[in-house]
Amino acid sequence: MAISAQTFDGVSEGQEFTLEEATDSQRLVIWAAASGDFYQIHYDDKFASNNKLPDIIVHGALKGMWVGKILDQIAGRDGWVKEWDVAYRAMDIAREPITVFAKVTGKREENGEKLVDFEVGTRKADGSVTTPGTGTVRLP
Amino acid sequence: MADEVMELTDEMKAAIGKSGEPTTYEVTSLGIRTFCRAVGYEDGIYFDDEEAKKAGHKSIIAPPGYLGMPVWNPNGPARRADFFKSPFTRNLNGGTAVEPLEHVYAGDVLEAVTTLTSVEILPSKAYGQLMVRKTETAYKRQSDGKVVAKTRGTSLSY
Repeated sequence: MAISAQTFDGVSEGQEFTLEEATDSQRLVIWAAASGDFYQIHYDDKFASNNKLPDIIVHGALKGMWVGKILDQIAGRDGWVKEWDVAYRAMDIAREPITVFAKVTGKREENGEKLVDFEVGTRKADGSVTTPGTGTVRLP
Repeated sequence: MADEVMELTDEMKAAIGKSGEPTTYEVTSLGIRTFCRAVGYEDGIYFDDEEAKKAGHKSIIAPPGYLGMPVWNPNGPARRADFFKSPFTRNLNGGTAVEPLEHVYAGDVLEAVTTLTSVEILPSKAYGQLMVRKTETAYKRQSDGKVVAKTRGTSLSY
């Protein structure tokens, strides 16, 4: 379910927003078409196995764009995603659910803009964060 | 993984700070909708023309981070020439940063220019050695000359 758009006064430091994302092979194939990344480790079991991978893996860029999506939902139509930056620190095996999170780390006003900073990333079921990063949105 | 210990070559060092040839990206309604489907966007301004127009846009807009697809032409020049010859053959995406600056619309044509900002060869427990290349890309809209977004990328080779 989508997160409703937030306001600057309505969010507080430490507040965390989350989205659950499925990582089935069909979704990875749709992402391959959307992004043009047709590297076979993301959809070809045999190719992944030949590259010493336990299974096909989730595209790093897809995880990065899920982070963009959660920030966009927080910003809503009246806000703006200023930037986000993620590192792909570990692989996520496909067919396992991923939690995308954005946790408020600070609020500030700069050049007339009301900005909220976040710790962002994707989390596995065991709690480990494979795609840590930061993000900033402007909120009304 | 390469068998011998690799170091930065003069060619690699000289490539830092250089920019590649511009690449043309098309932002189409089909491309935006496919991106929305893959990532899971639900706001109609990204896939419903009427909804986008009601919200004051001229057409559907691209979600942040979607900057179209390079124009595919099998008879044209290579899509992206490497900045230098790499001794490593396997590649991983190490990270992405996105800075949206303007709304991007279906029908926009963008010109992307990528600059190599750094290159290092680091020891790696998993791979022996890891080449880390960082780039920055600016996307300029052809119709009005505005830079609509900047991205930064980290690629890992082993």
